Amino acid sequence: MIRNWFRSLYHWAEEGEFSAAGEDQSPAEQEESSVCLDESNAWLAEVRSDEGFVPRFLSWLGTPAAAALYRDLYRVFAAVICLTVTIVLLVTVPFLPEFGNPDNPANNEVSERYIERGLEETGATNIVAGMILDYRAFDTLGESNVLFAAMCSVAILLRVDRKGKEANIPEIQVWRWDGKANIYLRHATKILIPVTMIFGIFVVLNGHLSAGGGFSGGTILGASLILLSNAFGSKRLEHYFSNTVCKWLTFAALMAYACLKSYSFFTGANHLESGISLGTPGALFSAGLILPLNLCVGCVVACTMYSFYAMFRSGGIEDGV
Amino acid sequence: MMTAWEWIRFLIGAGLIIFGLFVLFTAVYGNYRFRFVLNRMQSASLGDTLGMLFTLAGAMVLSGFTVFSLKMLLVIVFFWITSPASSHLLVHMEVSTFNKIRREDEEGGSK
Repeated sequence: MIRNWFRSLYHWAEEGEFSAAGEDQSPAEQEESSVCLDESNAWLAEVRSDEGFVPRFLSWLGTPAAAALYRDLYRVFAAVICLTVTIVLLVTVPFLPEFGNPDNPANNEVSERYIERGLEETGATNIVAGMILDYRAFDTLGESNVLFAAMCSVAILLRVDRKGKEANIPEIQVWRWDGKANIYLRHATKILIPVTMIFGIFVVLNGHLSAGGGFSGGTILGASLILLSNAFGSKRLEHYFSNTVCKWLTFAALMAYACLKSYSFFTGANHLESGISLGTPGALFSAGLILPLNLCVGCVVACTMYSFYAMFRSGGIEDGV
Repeated sequence: MMTAWEWIRFLIGAGLIIFGLFVLFTAVYGNYRFRFVLNRMQSASLGDTLGMLFTLAGAMVLSGFTVFSLKMLLVIVFFWITSPASSHLLVHMEVSTFNKIRREDEEGGSK
């Protein structure tokens, strides 16, 4: 039944009117489809005659008068919506809590506990790292997964499938100047790369001790990888840091994060001893899981940044990469 | 009571900072005043290098020989490596993509 209906609809799209479906039908099916056919043709006749409201409206929509009316309505509604939003926002402002007031709803027992017992419970002297990687580690895992999902969707969009279709696929172009960068840029990069890499690693490793952490350190590392690829060519960088390496490194980092945090959630929820010592606050190897989690986040961020650059510069990814 | 040495140090530092601010002001003014792209680029990179150098050198002289001034020295070194490189690349891109640049240059760059 449904199949016949689709078939007649297809016929209508091709020929302009509904007709009987194919010959290969049993009498009962033909009966059924002819009933459908009559109903459809009746509807079509009603639409095509100049009597009904719908066809007249549809034909009126194409006239310049309709376009002018639409333009006027658009202006009026745009003004009304803008004014409404502005007024609503302005009316809300006086009801907001005063800035810096100690009785604000943001200053509740949660932030109090973070500040007072954060060092003791997480072992991190950087209280922000203690918050995002211990109290709210689940949230940070979600953020890292968002980066990975963005990387995957860009890879899907830029993927070039070569199997089975030889024609109409442009070659993936390597930039004309790839690896032929200016000599000035190369010398500057030679000086800068070790420094920026070490600085990025420092920021990642010291996330629980000082300002920084996985996100900012990973950004520095990703930027230095982009600089390296710009100065010496993406071909040379791909020998040891290709898209595949990038993808698997991100995957491994996310898996490690999920496993480590699952362990600590499991033991914490069941009131078990986790066996992870918090160490002395201020030492490099302290604060329990925060250091490895920072490393994972740093890997994810650096790989995402670099792979965005690498994918968009070549304009496509070979199949299977 | 400031000793003579402190006075000299203060004057040197203040003079360096004032000269650096003058260079930065010139750079900003030139960036809006010039119409030709390479002239604008030159004034912009002037502010990034010379102006930055003199203001930070003045701050270093004022703060004395400390870790803080060593960090400022690092900032100067970093800026003198990166800023000319980026200006150079931008100009290089402009020259290699804009065909009419030689003619405009010969006309005096007023356009």
